[in-house]
Amino acid sequence: MNEAHPRRGQRRLAFFGRIGADISHEMRNVLSVIGEYAGLLDDLLVLAETGRPLDHARLKTLTKNLAAQVKKGTETTERFNRFSHTAEEQTASFDLIAVVEDVAALVQRHVRLEGHRLEVELPNREIRVTNNAFDLQYAVFAAVGILLKCLEKDEPVAVKVDAEGSTAALSISGRAAAGDEPGGRTSRLVAVMNELGGTVNTSWNDGTLSLVLAVPTD
Amino acid sequence: MGRLRILIVDDEEDLAFTMAERLILRGFRCEAMTNGIDALKALSEEHFDVLVLDVKMPGIDGLQMMTEIRQTHPDLPVILITGHGSAADAERGMRAGAFDYIMKPIDIERVIQMIHASTGAKKDEKP
Repeated sequence: MNEAHPRRGQRRLAFFGRIGADISHEMRNVLSVIGEYAGLLDDLLVLAETGRPLDHARLKTLTKNLAAQVKKGTETTERFNRFSHTAEEQTASFDLIAVVEDVAALVQRHVRLEGHRLEVELPNREIRVTNNAFDLQYAVFAAVGILLKCLEKDEPVAVKVDAEGSTAALSISGRAAAGDEPGGRTSRLVAVMNELGGTVNTSWNDGTLSLVLAVPTD
Repeated sequence: MGRLRILIVDDEEDLAFTMAERLILRGFRCEAMTNGIDALKALSEEHFDVLVLDVKMPGIDGLQMMTEIRQTHPDLPVILITGHGSAADAERGMRAGAFDYIMKPIDIERVIQMIHASTGAKKDEKP
């Protein structure tokens, strides 16, 4: 089963919009924190002018924190830039690990707001894939979304990637409430994975629900 | 009026604690918390004059907290913080009884004006 063309365009646009909105929120938070640190530095300098001694250790911590926020913002914009470029090409050769790392970081806020956290475990090597990177990222996002609806309270979402032979497997799993299975919620994900020449396998083992996305490697 | 006691709740830890430090430097008594559950517990155990509350948080978000607080602390002034480009969520909070809202990035002087306005204190009085 493949996705109808207009619906595919709509789905891709919605995904891009969702990630874009999350990143803009994230960046606004980073800028707000930088603003508060700058404001606090200014407050301390104004107080120093009135005779209050400057705490040099505090100043060092503040400048270190400022630098950390700038680094966080830079990394976020770089990830979003790479993600945006994947929407330009239908098919390209890419490192699956790098792409999964990026999309996991981009959906982190979404997962956190749902009261969970992502635990990402990636091998320390390249896995080359020639495919549609944007749709593959959508598949990861969709699988995480399906799992979030089934997870028990506070349980993490585990994301793992492995490759064997000519197939790479992305496993998205977590401890789910008994009887709470994704059922019909996977139909769109199955359609997208079909278009990517891959599969989705849903399994339930000892309280852990897993969605395994398999795609061919180069 | 004694020094006003402010509770700031924002899941962005750096933001919550830095805001608190800046308010303390201006003479307020201030606590910062990073989630709604801890904040509701603190409100049930201690007195605060004003609550400064982030709208979007994991677990209990700001709007859910507003609903609970209106039952337990109907007179507690709440100032909402929103990171959204649109003020729709904050306006929902206003309809739920928030005193006012402010968008991120925060203007600390504007927050102080809102604190004074919500408690009826004049700006030239001690916090």
